[in-house]
Amino acid sequence: MIKLAIKDLKLFFKDKRSMLLSFALPIALITLFALAFGGVGKGKKDTKISMQVSDLDQSPSSASAMQVLDSLKNVELLKVPLEKAQENIKKGDEACVLVIHKGFSDSLNTGKELPLELQYDEAQEMQVGLLQQSLIPTIAMLPFNIGNPKAAMRNRFDSMVPGASDTVKQSIQHKSDGLFDAISMGEMQSDGSDDTGAGLFGGDIKMTKLVAAKKDNSLGLVQAVAGTAVMMLLFSVVGIGAGILDEKQEGTLKRLLYTPMNPIKILFGKMISANVISIFQLVVMFLFASLVFGLDIYSHFTPLVITIIATAFACSAFGVFLASFAKSRQQVQGLSTLIILVMSAIGGSMMPIFFMPAFMQKIAVISVNFWSIQSFYDIFWRNLPITSGTFLSRILVLLLIGTILNSLAVVLFRKNILKLS
Amino acid sequence: MIAIRELRKSYNSHEALKGISFNIKEGEFYGLLGPNGAGKITTISIMSSILTPDSGEVLINGNNIYTHPNESKKIIGVVPQEIALYNDLTAEENLWFWGGLYDVPKTELKNRIDEVLTLFGLFERRKDKVGAYSGGMKRRINIAAALLHQPRIVFMDEPTVGIDPQSRNLIFEVIEKLHSKEMTIVYTTHYMEEAERFCDRIGIIDNGQIIAEGTLDELKKSSNAKETIVITFNNLNDDKVQKIQSFWKDCNHAEDKIYFYTSDLKTELSKIISQCNDAGAEIHNIEIKKVNLETVFLSLTGKQLRD
Repeated sequence: MIKLAIKDLKLFFKDKRSMLLSFALPIALITLFALAFGGVGKGKKDTKISMQVSDLDQSPSSASAMQVLDSLKNVELLKVPLEKAQENIKKGDEACVLVIHKGFSDSLNTGKELPLELQYDEAQEMQVGLLQQSLIPTIAMLPFNIGNPKAAMRNRFDSMVPGASDTVKQSIQHKSDGLFDAISMGEMQSDGSDDTGAGLFGGDIKMTKLVAAKKDNSLGLVQAVAGTAVMMLLFSVVGIGAGILDEKQEGTLKRLLYTPMNPIKILFGKMISANVISIFQLVVMFLFASLVFGLDIYSHFTPLVITIIATAFACSAFGVFLASFAKSRQQVQGLSTLIILVMSAIGGSMMPIFFMPAFMQKIAVISVNFWSIQSFYDIFWRNLPITSGTFLSRILVLLLIGTILNSLAVVLFRKNILKLS
Repeated sequence: MIAIRELRKSYNSHEALKGISFNIKEGEFYGLLGPNGAGKITTISIMSSILTPDSGEVLINGNNIYTHPNESKKIIGVVPQEIALYNDLTAEENLWFWGGLYDVPKTELKNRIDEVLTLFGLFERRKDKVGAYSGGMKRRINIAAALLHQPRIVFMDEPTVGIDPQSRNLIFEVIEKLHSKEMTIVYTTHYMEEAERFCDRIGIIDNGQIIAEGTLDELKKSSNAKETIVITFNNLNDDKVQKIQSFWKDCNHAEDKIYFYTSDLKTELSKIISQCNDAGAEIHNIEIKKVNLETVFLSLTGKQLRD
């Protein structure tokens, strides 16, 4: 078994194409994606973005405000208690929570600044940015929709000219009342699509980073490294797994069967070498990201090692499974290209999954990429401790995927490969 | 040493082996000959326990190889027909790998690797990748890899296919050395001269059955193979062929040649020549083909060995 693995490792390091696919190509892609992701988040998305809301005011006004927010076309409102909402953000399940603090009703009626706070995960800053674009104009118009608009306008104008004399203030109030009358005669928009008043009447939300990443680890960088590394790893382990089919074709598998070795150990040897190469490949990828792009891997050393091992286990199992399932290298290549590209697309290797529609985010869980990339996010962005249930559950899923695929590979190996040889 | 008992094996509706039985003694060089598709590979695969028969058994030293597969495999070396080596590893690395699978101790294995590399004339090229070797050199390493655990039985499946004369001669020398060391060898080949040269006994398999078995002399005697007198004529025509065939029934005509078959060459040759002259056919050349394994095989199976 070990001898088989050593032989496979020797063959791997002598194969220039494998080395290119495993190291040079991923490094080139990481570089490309890392540079490309610098400008991510500037575009608009029409997909519905989920937003948690915690109502601490519990007043009819706050209820009405939530109704207004719920009517936004591109926002899916989730009413969640604050603690639960914060936990969801820390787990990476949700991007943010809009907190309606106590005193919201009073502020709305007296025209004071609304006590609203958006607590968010910096890792999902782009999603939060998109939300802000919808929220600010709507919140700015809340006093007109559900509050005391005249009071609101007077207070806002007052705050704009804090040192003005009473005469000036009275004049401004007179003008603002006139402006309010004009708006109430029909120019006011209630769906938030008209943001002409937003700049003038505020709409400011206090922004609080609930989960903040370390300076060294930008979202684009983690996405580029984790996403690319996992996708390329899948491609290279499929190549290693397909080595079984090469052995069959070249007669070495048959020759192995002549030896006293248990036939199933041939597969186990292949699994070991696939795991070792996978771990090595991931280590090289993260070292590269650390050296060239400054990704801080050393302060997350233990969880990173655990994630690399779990990812390597799941990915190599996928490669061996696919090779056992197929009947020729050509079949493996065709199948793997299709499956890996689909898994990478839905699992977040090509772009962060919060850019995707809700249904895509739900089906992402069938992808190895998803669990692995989320684990890397847990480490580098969410700064979750190694004992975190969220982090450990993702690791467990990766190990489970690996175990299931390896078990299936054993069955298929007996049925397809040994029978054919 | 090896006893094959009533082996049967079918692939779907095709019956590849129809209950073959034969014995091979310790130290014997046994040739298993047969046309393509006769059942040789199936037999060898079952004997090396990588294929399970539908019924029957293979006993090695009285032990059924399916109840004691590992014990059997440890004393068997198999030289496959295809070159089953890793092209990207050097000859030495290949031998380390294949020898290592039989749990030969490291120091012992090192000595054996050097020994076989020297034996096959490849010691100087041991650090070269097998992929860079010629076909003949690969064949030599292919055989060497099967000998590292010093098996008592070696199955050689066409070990000299497609190689240069120099490599073939070297392999022949090694095979003779192995045979002289009382190694039991089961050999399949399409080259009759190899079977005639090495085999103590030969089993001829056709259509999943052993149709003849014995030493070369025994096979010659038991078969109906006849010696052939091939006469080439200068002025052969249909009339003359008819006249010749009227006095010698057991012959065939092809272009300017007539093939006469006889069991008694000494007395019949002069008679045939005299009657050809009587028929007015002018003899250009006479060639005599004695009974050999090729003609025995042809008479037994009705096929050339390469069919």
